[in-house]
Amino acid sequence: MSDSSIKIVLKNVSKYFGKVCALNAVDIEFAPGTLTTLLGPSGCGKTTLLRLVSGLEPVSSGEIWFGDENVTDLSATRRDIGMVFQSYALFPHMSVGQNVGYGLGVLKTAPDETQERVREVLEMVDMDGYQNRYPDELSGGQQQRVAVARAMVLRPKVLLFDEPLSNIDSKLRRSMRDDIRRLQQGSKITSIYVTHDQAEALAVSDEILIMRKGAIEQQGPPQSLYHHPETAFVANFIGESNVVDAELLGEGKTRQLVLGDAEINIAQGKKTTRQNGPVKLSLRPEVIEIAPKEEISPQALSGLIVQSAYMGPVIEYSIETKVGILFTRAPAYAGQFQKKEEVCVRIRPEEIIIIPNA
Amino acid sequence: MNIKRNNTPGEIGPRVVLSWILIATTAYCFLPWVALEYGITDFTMDELLDALGWNYNKATLVVPLLLLILVPFAWIKLPRKKSGWLFTILSGAVIGILLFSFIASNTSMGLAAGVILLCLAALFAIGISELGFQRGDTFIAGAVIFVVLMVAMFIFYPVWEIFRNVLFNKAGAFVPFQFFRIVTSFGVGRVIWNTLRLAFTVGAATTVCGLIFALYSVRATSRFRYLIRVFYILPIITPPFVVGMSLILLFGRAGMISDGLMFLFGPAGIFTPEGSQGIFERSGYIYGFLGIFLAQTLSLTPVSYMVISGMLSSINPAMEEASLTMRASRWTTLWKVTFPLLRPAIANAFLLGMISSAADFGNPLVLGGEYDVLSTEIYFSIAGAQLDFAKAAALGLILLFLSLSVFYIQKKWIGKKSYVTVTGVETSGNVTPLPKFLQRSLTLFISFWFILVGIVYISIFLGGFVTQWGADYSLTLSHHVELWSKGLSSGAWPSFLHSLSYSVIAAPLTTLVGVLIAYILTRKQFFGRGVIDFGTVLIFAVPGTVIGVAYILAFNTAPIELTGTAVILIITMAIRAMPVGIRGGMSALSQISTSLEEASILQRAGSLKTIRSVLLPLLKSTIVSSMAYSFIRAMTTVSAVIFLATAGTDVATTYILSRVESGDTGVAVAYGSVLILTMLIFTLLVQLVTGRSRTDKQVKII
Ligand SMILES: Nc1ncnc2c1ncn2[C@@H]1O[C@H](COP(=O)(O)OP(=O)(O)OP(=O)(O)O)[C@@H](O)[C@H]1O
Ligand SMILES: [Mg+2]
Repeated sequence: MSDSSIKIVLKNVSKYFGKVCALNAVDIEFAPGTLTTLLGPSGCGKTTLLRLVSGLEPVSSGEIWFGDENVTDLSATRRDIGMVFQSYALFPHMSVGQNVGYGLGVLKTAPDETQERVREVLEMVDMDGYQNRYPDELSGGQQQRVAVARAMVLRPKVLLFDEPLSNIDSKLRRSMRDDIRRLQQGSKITSIYVTHDQAEALAVSDEILIMRKGAIEQQGPPQSLYHHPETAFVANFIGESNVVDAELLGEGKTRQLVLGDAEINIAQGKKTTRQNGPVKLSLRPEVIEIAPKEEISPQALSGLIVQSAYMGPVIEYSIETKVGILFTRAPAYAGQFQKKEEVCVRIRPEEIIIIPNA
Repeated sequence: MNIKRNNTPGEIGPRVVLSWILIATTAYCFLPWVALEYGITDFTMDELLDALGWNYNKATLVVPLLLLILVPFAWIKLPRKKSGWLFTILSGAVIGILLFSFIASNTSMGLAAGVILLCLAALFAIGISELGFQRGDTFIAGAVIFVVLMVAMFIFYPVWEIFRNVLFNKAGAFVPFQFFRIVTSFGVGRVIWNTLRLAFTVGAATTVCGLIFALYSVRATSRFRYLIRVFYILPIITPPFVVGMSLILLFGRAGMISDGLMFLFGPAGIFTPEGSQGIFERSGYIYGFLGIFLAQTLSLTPVSYMVISGMLSSINPAMEEASLTMRASRWTTLWKVTFPLLRPAIANAFLLGMISSAADFGNPLVLGGEYDVLSTEIYFSIAGAQLDFAKAAALGLILLFLSLSVFYIQKKWIGKKSYVTVTGVETSGNVTPLPKFLQRSLTLFISFWFILVGIVYISIFLGGFVTQWGADYSLTLSHHVELWSKGLSSGAWPSFLHSLSYSVIAAPLTTLVGVLIAYILTRKQFFGRGVIDFGTVLIFAVPGTVIGVAYILAFNTAPIELTGTAVILIITMAIRAMPVGIRGGMSALSQISTSLEEASILQRAGSLKTIRSVLLPLLKSTIVSSMAYSFIRAMTTVSAVIFLATAGTDVATTYILSRVESGDTGVAVAYGSVLILTMLIFTLLVQLVTGRSRTDKQVKII
């Protein structure tokens, strides 16, 4: 972390549009120099949060701090922020060079210095040499690179991205997101990144923040969110997951989960804060194994294949069981179970997630 | 490399504060504090000296002294927003004191007072923006204050004066029933009925004709349709009453077509059987309902055409194709699919036609005869010997009410829907053609229309070269000679030059304010925005005659005395043309994504810089075409300026009308045709300068 990186803190921030509550008393910390992704369903307040941080939208209540400076009343012009918009928002009447150099011009930087600095950032995004092109002479991906360059040219304290890759085709998106990640790690500017795409989120982020209906559902590094979702919502949102009902029974070594017709001993040392009684489990597809019906045991569920789809290297199955329909994949080389076939469904106990708050 | 960050843009530096104070103080020292007897253009040194504030009344010294208090605070920033409070309260208080003293002493403000008020408003804006108004954006705060002041002074205050003249008598006593006494003292019911009947029929006629033209231009397969795209230019550049004048030339008692009919079907006509009276009689049939109806339909149809064709061409052809593939005939498709989709545009065209007809003043004045409508009745209660301001105000109130209610219906009911589509992109290619029979009948109708319009314009141009229309058709140059070669100070030149110079000033002014209003309305949400919103509605809806009456009532006496000056005419032209700038700005701004401005703001640019470097370049073509069209509107407007133009400030349109009234039709049409030609050349020049595709844009602003 370079010493210029700052921490962003939202204290009890709310935002109302008229009577609509877009953000409800959230408390968040974005660690210095990290890239945090905001993830959540449409309309949950991601863009709103970003715009509050940028100052383009005023808060209804609460405070926003950059490091030890309270910026709540500071206008967007003075907050020292770079932002990449979903629509790129390049000035159509200015060339690439003028677009990137715009902010330097505002700050009255000397012309040759401006030119040098523009060249430098354009080089960072692999766009040096395009200075005299106009935005409508560039492809979508190139425009987005220019937009990133423009956002970074003033070396802002904070970088904001609002779904920057959603208008780019999926192949290019992969390389763009790696570039953004590389640039961000190189510059160590505290960044907030909004996306709909959870693969993108898992790939670029230091931290992911899951939002739901204007509130924070869970914040943490990608792995911890994936392996330790605190709510069924998070389990569903990150990766694919089957959330099922079960009952927790017994003590110590005999602690078991009853789900449907299966009784599963929880692996030694697996900790849960939950009391005995009904709980919710998150079962990732990779925890579920399918075997021929003959291998049925008390630890396994019996199921009926209702959907079986060949996807190249893997086969995707939907299986009807006592706890509902489970979704899983199996490698294609293992052979394909057919629709309507009865099977035995085994669940690897050590990877069952007992959701803490459900 | 380090980037300088020490300058914080958007912050108000000492220089800004100081310049406003300096301007105000200078104005105080050297400009007249109270209005000069004979206006700014015509004064003696002594008069000026007497009118200077420090000479006129020592008490006025308070104003510059209070302003000087603020000087140190250009640098000193008081903690916790106290500076903001200081500026707000002090400048607000001085504004209040100033206005109060002028009103209480019943004196008229001079130029100095005006300039000082403006500077105080700027300081006030600096103050409240520091208190957080517009999130501290001083430029926007200033713009908002400026627009609010302007709307208050030139819309709300005059309209209020109309109410005041109806609700209070001359002595200032409250007489709530005066309105009823006034309007029942003559046949007001008939006048209202006449106005409504006319408005309704004209609305219906222009809608039907507009629909025909729209169907034809968008859907017909004939080459003829390209002509239609040209035809809407003519009525725009023609002063509204000129069509009326030509109808007199054609259908009047001595009209050319009347002569022809007389020759064919009159008592001695060649088709009249021996001994019979014939079926045609020389009479003033064109004066009255028929004439006004014809003139208004001819000149208002293009508006309805544009509204309907805009929507028609934005209908997705796929919908009609879907209907056709389901074995529906072209007729059924037109009837069951196309027309229902057009319904909002049709309703909109109808209401627009109604409003414009009720507000039209020139044609009823020229053609009205016995048929009196509200707009002319208002004029006649002030013009001439009557000078009955209360009656004019009462009638103005009725007209305003009618116009506002139609406008309200339009806005609430269909405004939004049709707004988007008028500016919508035109779809190309695969449109469903019209049924054969329909296309043929429409061709016939449109040919007839073009012939009529052609005759109308030819008669205007010929009329200027004919000795005495109807009696002596020998060619002559005498009308034009009388107008144009009697020196610059007589004939048509003074009024022509007035029109030109006033319009040249008014056009950029109105465009600037119009686009500013559009910017505020599309981009800013704040407490009190409703005031500007409502002001805009009034700007759109108040008929010209009502503006005329209101301005006479408001600006004839202290504290603001402007009647008889060029200033009031320029302001009137600007207000009358303002819908052009507002509409143009709104539609252009709605197509510019706000993220461009936000991107600029995040690059540390203040709002002024953002507007200058990002918005203005993108709005350039809109601004140019709005300016051009505002200029044309200003040159051709009649209804409001006729109340305000005086012998020294008459403009082209009022001069022409005065010649019509004194019976010099030849001179009037000669002038009219020159005016039309000038506008035509101007329009072509603008199109040449701004590029070919401009026509469409320019017209869509309307
Ligand atoms: N300017 C506004 N006026 C009124 N309501 C708004 C405004 N902006 C956002 N909202 C509301 O606030 C809520 C959150 O909106 P926001 O744009 O932050 O969602 P989002 O998470 O970015 O959604 P998406 O993923 O679709 O972009 C929504 O209910 C939205 O309707
Ligand atoms: Mg969003």
